Amino acid sequence: MTDLPLRLARLGRALRSAGVATTLRDELDAAAALALVDREDREEVRRAVRIALRIAREDFETYDRLFEGFWHGEPEAAPVAPRPRREPPVLPRGRALHWDPDTRRMGTESRVSPRGERPGYSPEALLRRKRFDEDWSARDLARMERLLARLARRLATRRSRRLVPTRGRGRADVRSSYRRALRTSGELLSLARRTRAVETPRVVFLLDTSGSMDAHGRFLLTFALSLRRAVPRAEVFAFNTELVRLTRSLAPGKVRVTLDRLAASVPDWSGGTRIGACLAEFYAEHLARGPAGKTVVVVLSDGLDRGDAAALAEAVRRIQGRARKLVWLNPLLGDPRYEPAAGGMRAALPFVDHFASAHDLESLERLGPHLAG
Amino acid sequence: MKAEIQALLAALEAEGYVTEPATATAVFLSREMRKPLLVEGDAGVGKTELAKVLARLLGTELIRLQCYEGLDVQTALYEWDYPRQLLRLRLSEGRGEDPQQIEARIFSREYLLERPLLRAITRPDQPPVLLIDEVDRADDGFEAFLLELLSDLQVTIPELGTIRAAHPPYVVLTSNRTRELGDALRRRCLYLYIDHPSLEKEVRIIRTRWPEAEERLARQVGRFLQALRARPLVKSPGVAETLDWTQALVTLRQGSLEPEVVTQTLGCLLKDRHDLETITPSEVASLVALAREESP
Repeated sequence: MTDLPLRLARLGRALRSAGVATTLRDELDAAAALALVDREDREEVRRAVRIALRIAREDFETYDRLFEGFWHGEPEAAPVAPRPRREPPVLPRGRALHWDPDTRRMGTESRVSPRGERPGYSPEALLRRKRFDEDWSARDLARMERLLARLARRLATRRSRRLVPTRGRGRADVRSSYRRALRTSGELLSLARRTRAVETPRVVFLLDTSGSMDAHGRFLLTFALSLRRAVPRAEVFAFNTELVRLTRSLAPGKVRVTLDRLAASVPDWSGGTRIGACLAEFYAEHLARGPAGKTVVVVLSDGLDRGDAAALAEAVRRIQGRARKLVWLNPLLGDPRYEPAAGGMRAALPFVDHFASAHDLESLERLGPHLAG
Repeated sequence: MKAEIQALLAALEAEGYVTEPATATAVFLSREMRKPLLVEGDAGVGKTELAKVLARLLGTELIRLQCYEGLDVQTALYEWDYPRQLLRLRLSEGRGEDPQQIEARIFSREYLLERPLLRAITRPDQPPVLLIDEVDRADDGFEAFLLELLSDLQVTIPELGTIRAAHPPYVVLTSNRTRELGDALRRRCLYLYIDHPSLEKEVRIIRTRWPEAEERLARQVGRFLQALRARPLVKSPGVAETLDWTQALVTLRQGSLEPEVVTQTLGCLLKDRHDLETITPSEVASLVALAREESP
């Protein structure tokens, strides 16, 4: 193979256009590797180039296909469709979810409800127990949003196992203490201390925006958005019949603006909620591609699925297998009469690490230790 | 296939490590190109074992650094032996020695505790095999530090100066992909993905490691495992589990697979409650029937 550099460059280019990242340096390494192996042995060349180009397991198939062109020295490999990058799809606007300024709710239709304004002052304690699906005055709503933001900030921190020096309280650090003592000719004057570093968790929110959830939607979304501001690594998805990644379309700003924008991008629910399909897509397209065991996945849904319960169970099981923890928040749980009898919910339950209610602020507060876990 | 790779494959097998040509090629390239080898694959496919076998093969020391969350430089690289330094300081002061001399003395190699990474680059006689196990468990900060060490193969200790590697070690990194490794570290290494073995390979692995297991049993175990891995499981059993299970069957003096015994010993293979529930006794029976086909 006299035209080896050319062929390698072509292979590298074909790989890149197929969505497999390779760099010039990888190609140089591949050339070096080829100098070391039996270049008549096709299988050996295939293996050596794969190792040197650092082709990851999930790209083996693409590589094997493009390798043919490399081996036969085809002038230009057939263009390969790039791996589709998922963008929030442009969706048909049916009965789109919208933000209703009168009722201050997200809904699919204007819901006119008697607006019983409460007395102006409402103590925090009352707010904390007020159900999300009750009627809210404008003032209470604003207070509630502030409370949610504060809660989100508090939840956004996690103690890591890593120890970092601290001036405050913590475990005595003998090593540093000795080191300090050397400065004072061996006199141990003060103890150095270490404490566990503060880390921000990787959290993903999956919000059910179907009609049965819209009474709670606003608060849960506010909560998710506040958390997103506090934790840059938090991701937010919305789903009902389709899964839409919201993270990128969420500019930091007022919740109100964001909600309006969301209403335009989240598809209609008239086909019924397809929780199982959406969760399966979330697993395949996002969770499985990321690192395992690092992400806390929070599903906010009532579990009223129109799809196949077995498919839902399978999706939830897979998510739990790859997540650090799977938390399912179900607003219906706030109702003492509720039993998770909905087919989908019951199927999913065995694979949920923490199943809790999310009908008021107090219930969200109890989420703290589970998010951090 | 190049003769050297062929020889390496045979040598690995002679050490009890039955593997695919890709593994031998990767080890060969990593050795010749002097690049670290990053090995990924499911738990129990023999990633760590590869480094151990390599050290035996080269007749050199294996230095292992087990990574974990919170691993710091003092545990991985070096640390001063502070208690001894203090003791020396007191003694020397008592004798009224020159402070500068004392300082030079207590900050010498004599008082330096070498941790795995430093030891790996200071071996005077021959390059060791440095195994950085489960590098995905360490945090990003440590990964960045590791990257620097691997590219320069030198360590700077403020009190001592720079220590350069006498013999660059053979570096093997393993990852279970609990966290995606940084691109920079990945690019620094050659990459090998170890898959679950084929049936033929697995039977040979069983026969190599447990010669007590009869040929018939080994084949059935192999077929059973292949069929089991095709099931949707939370944790697919690896070769390590296969070998554990074979040992259990040999200990129980089994000559071939029996559904009851398989059910009782399934805990050797499946280590997840959900998997154990999925593979019911009737599932076991059909898997065993499948495994026993074609064998007399």
